[in-house]
Amino acid sequence: MWVDLAITFVKILFVLAITVGFFAPVLTWVERKQSAIMQDRIGANRADILGFTVLGLFHIIADALKMFTKEDFIPQGANKILHTISPIIAVVPALLTFAVVPFGGQYTLFGKEVNLVISDLDVGLLFVFAIASLATYGYVIAGWSSNNNWSLLGSMRTASQMISYEVTMGLTIIGVLMVYGSMKLTTIGAIQEDFFKWGLFLQPLGFVMFLAASIAENKRIPFDNPEAESEIVAGYFTEYSGLKFGMFFMAEFIEMVTIGAIMTILFFGAWHIPFLTTATLLGWFDFLGTTGANLIVMLIQVGVFFTKVIFFIWLQMTIRWTLPRFRYDQIMKLGWKILLPLSLANILVTGIIILVLN
Amino acid sequence: MAYYVNRNLKMTLWEKLYLPEIIRGMAITSRHFFLNLFGFIPFLLGNKKERPIMTVYYPEEQVQYPIAYRGRPVLAQNEDGQPACVACGLCEIACPAYCIHIEPGENSGKQNQYERWPDVFNIDYAICIFCGNCEEACPEEAIFMSDDCEISMLDRKKMLYTKEQLLTPVAELQKRIEFTRNMYAKWNY
Repeated sequence: MWVDLAITFVKILFVLAITVGFFAPVLTWVERKQSAIMQDRIGANRADILGFTVLGLFHIIADALKMFTKEDFIPQGANKILHTISPIIAVVPALLTFAVVPFGGQYTLFGKEVNLVISDLDVGLLFVFAIASLATYGYVIAGWSSNNNWSLLGSMRTASQMISYEVTMGLTIIGVLMVYGSMKLTTIGAIQEDFFKWGLFLQPLGFVMFLAASIAENKRIPFDNPEAESEIVAGYFTEYSGLKFGMFFMAEFIEMVTIGAIMTILFFGAWHIPFLTTATLLGWFDFLGTTGANLIVMLIQVGVFFTKVIFFIWLQMTIRWTLPRFRYDQIMKLGWKILLPLSLANILVTGIIILVLN
Repeated sequence: MAYYVNRNLKMTLWEKLYLPEIIRGMAITSRHFFLNLFGFIPFLLGNKKERPIMTVYYPEEQVQYPIAYRGRPVLAQNEDGQPACVACGLCEIACPAYCIHIEPGENSGKQNQYERWPDVFNIDYAICIFCGNCEEACPEEAIFMSDDCEISMLDRKKMLYTKEQLLTPVAELQKRIEFTRNMYAKWNY
């Protein structure tokens, strides 16, 4: 029992380290640098320690220091308690989703079955969806408690946008559910060992719609109306400064990783390399003994998983720096008039095909 | 000269599908991304023009400003060391920000000497808006906009430049003088 607890603890630490410790800070740098080189610029490279700039990577430290030392400002007339806790409410769901995200398969290490997921819920998919919609509260409360017109406008936009796109997201997930017949994310991942059973091929329309809906959920360009800086200053986090603003910022980046992970598991073959089953890989490293082979395969597959996640992060960044912002009515039109009927049609077609094939 | 945006663009079905056009746009941006990314290795090795990047590392690298650029206004200094200015005060009047202060001096009727010159000629760059009206108003080709724009400083009082600081030899201003002559001739002043 203590071993199980220790393993779970290690997994939690790993997930925290890789999201909060690695992805969130590095993505701030990646976003600047990628946008720069996409636009034929150089990007941030001036922060230096003893003359070394290291491609501007020290800007991460500079940013963190800046956020720590800034004045923590609460505007007059703001609801102090809600104003303080809303960044936390925004960050927690983004992190919580990772509880059910498997970042690798099942491996036998030292005679112990290790499942690389913190909590292998039977309703993992539903859990992801539920937690994703919980994040809305953080943003709405942040906007409402700031006592600021722009913040309120931003939070209203957040609420309407997130509710609209959650419908599409949920219906798309139903398509995936029908194909794989399981809500368990580990099972969905395991089924995709076969290259032709990747969600990308079974649910191509669902893939595109899920990507669109999840970017809308994350409120990034082209769906960044809630924080449209040219219209409503900064939307719901107008009145936030210092580390509280940093937490909203972090929530956005962690959510990008979460979206990447969920997309990878649902549509992109989870931790599998195309045409290479786990058994084949284990066979290759058989000379290292059971534990050794499992360890190597585990490292490879976790690496593959995070490579795919990085690909999706790259995709989101490319979308973010390619497209202009939608108008508000266009967002609503896209959500309710195009994506919703399409996702319903997707369910219908998927159902018919499954019926015919069986 | 109102500019109307045509909001009733007729889009083809391909464009209405939206997704192909997004992919086309992303192909363009990611082409730039990968070109610049793989041009990064020669860039690190010191070959800075390997990538199609326009960025200038400003304080270290500087570009030649176009001749029409309006930097800080300076006074032209003749070959014999005297200002070309005759202290007529037209630039003082033309200045919309009132940053020029002139106190004239004149000789007592001696022949073959300068008749008038500015005793005091101050321009406060903290107030100046770099509009170039003084240059346009000057009848004596005495005040010109230079290409120097690095005049920010921490003390406001130091931004008040006196005559001695403003005087610049005519030889350095030759290009700008030519340019203003052409420009004002074209506009038929």
